[in-house]
Amino acid sequence: MIYLDNAATTWPKPPCVEKAMRRALAEYGANPGRGGHAMSLATAQMVYRCREQAAAFFGLGRPERVVFCANTTAALNLALKSLAAEGGRIVISDMEHNSVTRPLESVKNRVDVAPVGRTPKETLRHFERCVRPDTVAVACLHASNVFGTVLPIAQIGHMARRRGLIFAVDAAQTAGVLPISMEKMDIDLLCVPGHKGLYGPPGTGLLLCGERYTPRPLMQGGSGVESLSPHPPAALPERLECGTLNTVGICGLSAAFEWLLAGDTAARYHTEWQKTAYLYRRLSAVPGIRLYTPPPRLFWQAPLLSVNLRGMSSETLAAALDAEGVAVRAGLHCSPAAHRHMGTLPDGTVRLAPSVWTSPADIERVVQILYKISKK
Amino acid sequence: MSRQVYAVGSVTNAMRGKEWLGRHGITAFVGRVPPDSRVGCGYTLTVTDDFERAETLLREAGIPVRAVK
Repeated sequence: MIYLDNAATTWPKPPCVEKAMRRALAEYGANPGRGGHAMSLATAQMVYRCREQAAAFFGLGRPERVVFCANTTAALNLALKSLAAEGGRIVISDMEHNSVTRPLESVKNRVDVAPVGRTPKETLRHFERCVRPDTVAVACLHASNVFGTVLPIAQIGHMARRRGLIFAVDAAQTAGVLPISMEKMDIDLLCVPGHKGLYGPPGTGLLLCGERYTPRPLMQGGSGVESLSPHPPAALPERLECGTLNTVGICGLSAAFEWLLAGDTAARYHTEWQKTAYLYRRLSAVPGIRLYTPPPRLFWQAPLLSVNLRGMSSETLAAALDAEGVAVRAGLHCSPAAHRHMGTLPDGTVRLAPSVWTSPADIERVVQILYKISKK
Repeated sequence: MSRQVYAVGSVTNAMRGKEWLGRHGITAFVGRVPPDSRVGCGYTLTVTDDFERAETLLREAGIPVRAVK
């Protein structure tokens, strides 16, 4: 199988991730932050190590402000519902995933939508125009999960900081793929999947909180600390982490961080960008293939492309590719806003997303299969 | 051997404090809040030397410290 569904979740994972998860079941089987016995403390140490790695990886000086979540959606819900409860207006882009739009649906009369422009400068201008006197936050994706378009988050972050706004970023498609520094980009809340560009296991996600904003808890329960109080503890991460953590997943994620930290994100991205640019070039020549974005520009395109084949629905094309052993995702990708932006509703597109494991031969094979399908 | 036990709240604070003290040459051990405590569950850091400096370092790191023994 040629797996090009890496924007949904990367596969395969590095062997060290599987090894670490097996080790977790054997050696870190206790509940961290609950008991005082040796295995509980060893597990807590492993969990803390992963917080340190995540903080270092994303330019956050405070490991204790790294909150483990089940996925990016959970992180975004924590961040956005808390910001919505502040009472002011929130600016988002017009290409957001449902993980951003749905948590804000109940306050949609306080949401302003900035169109993603043809250039980063234009996008920034649109965001600036949306800010009103009662705006409290800006929340947007780093890159579209459908078209790969990268938003100028550093510039948006600086603009938000200058105006005293909280800046939340959905890094579902860019964490581990593009360099991200919360400090340098003025990001206050960073929502990250553990299982995509970080190559960790499914069921892992992170909410990294800068010092300017601590989200309110969405859930309450056992946190292993201050048990006599009827309220959750005030301090992160326990404030937002009630219940038992996914220690097996966290151990896998920690191994993934170690694997990533041994390399360089910018260099890794460059290789992925080259593959994406090559795929784009080759697809451009396939009769009947429609590409929706300009040729990938370095640092302005996440490693994924959306296409359609003339006269065929996206689901039919994906099924035809599946029959040839190519795994892709069709439809709306939980992002109707992005499809509305690009004019690809209601049928959606087929998304092809290479990973570090995708070889030029894989790409060439997919192109040949698309040639074959287009001739049918 | 003399020792000082500090209640530090969560296990994350305990791990962070242990790491921070270690970086400054002070060995600390993580344990549970003793049964006579009135804060409910939580964790402690125990140091056997350099108490004042340990406490100062923990406070500098923003770790809430309460001497319990």
